[in-house]
Amino acid sequence: MSDPMKEIWQNQELEGMTMSLEDIRRKAGKLRRRILWRNAREFAAAALVVPVMSYFAWRVATGLTRVAAIVCIAGVLYVVVQLYRRGSARNLPADLAASGWVAFYRRELERQRDLLASVWSWYLAPLIPGLALFIVGGLLQPAAHLRHTGLFIGGYAILAALAFAVIGWLNQHAARRLQRAIDELNALER
Amino acid sequence: MRQTEVIQPEESTQDDRYTAAAAEFGAGLERLARAYEADPERRRDLLQDIHLQLWRSFAAFDGRCSTRTWVYRVAHNTAASYVIRERRQRSRLITFEELEKIPTEQPAEPAADRRRALEKLHLLIQQLAPTDRQVMICYLEDMDAASIGEITGLSPGNVAMKIHRLRNVLSRRFHEGGWHE
Repeated sequence: MSDPMKEIWQNQELEGMTMSLEDIRRKAGKLRRRILWRNAREFAAAALVVPVMSYFAWRVATGLTRVAAIVCIAGVLYVVVQLYRRGSARNLPADLAASGWVAFYRRELERQRDLLASVWSWYLAPLIPGLALFIVGGLLQPAAHLRHTGLFIGGYAILAALAFAVIGWLNQHAARRLQRAIDELNALER
Repeated sequence: MRQTEVIQPEESTQDDRYTAAAAEFGAGLERLARAYEADPERRRDLLQDIHLQLWRSFAAFDGRCSTRTWVYRVAHNTAASYVIRERRQRSRLITFEELEKIPTEQPAEPAADRRRALEKLHLLIQQLAPTDRQVMICYLEDMDAASIGEITGLSPGNVAMKIHRLRNVLSRRFHEGGWHE
């Protein structure tokens, strides 16, 4: 041990914290509950949209707007399934020791990059048919209480398109930033 | 430092493997947690998290690497993920390369004041980016370059370069001015 700092480091005073297997199992249980709760929060928006849309389709809408509501529900359910499958937020995997930090961290960054880069295919695009049908339905069956229906629907369509474009751009931008971090990690392995 | 023998997977259960590893590497894990978190409460949480992940990981222990490599991979991957999560609220982390360029404000620490030197060392480590921090901790635990490469996943060339730089940093900040044992 040539470096005196190693000696100082290894002989530092410690608290001597230990964990019994009972403590570990209790903590594992808490972790499982926390993950369940976090997943529940992720799906809260869907839990709100689906019943409201279902009620709207069943009791309020007619014709094309009813079809639009049903297509919207299908779109939201598709997004929920994708969110669950791809895991937007994730706990540390059990195979933590399968690789060193560089590979482990790169895998995590790649997962997040792919999630963000493909946001159009799994998050935005599935919601478009329902919204588009609402717009067409609104134009074909103008609500009696609305003046300037065309203007209202047109404004709604522009706002929706703008929101989708901004969300898509932000996600692509974040994916490019992650790619730069991945490139830096790749350089460390060479 | 002694290189632990590889435990065959069929020889012990997850609980046994964890208990043996915690007994052998408990002190090293505590030092590691201290290098990642200065706040005692958060440090305790981090250390508990490392122990939990270690216990979980032993369900999949395949004996392809030494227990020490396995334990430190789990510990570093858990702790570095923690740093990445926490970094949003903290100041920017730096590398050895950047540290080498920062002039030292005070002369190197006198050898007699071990406590002060250790405090300074902790402060230095806690500023480091995850990869450099891992190399520093492994170096201080007296691991060789091959083990550091196995744990971090860095290439041998990168490990050698980083060790060279960290020695420069340590020497400039701690050894100059008559540090002798």
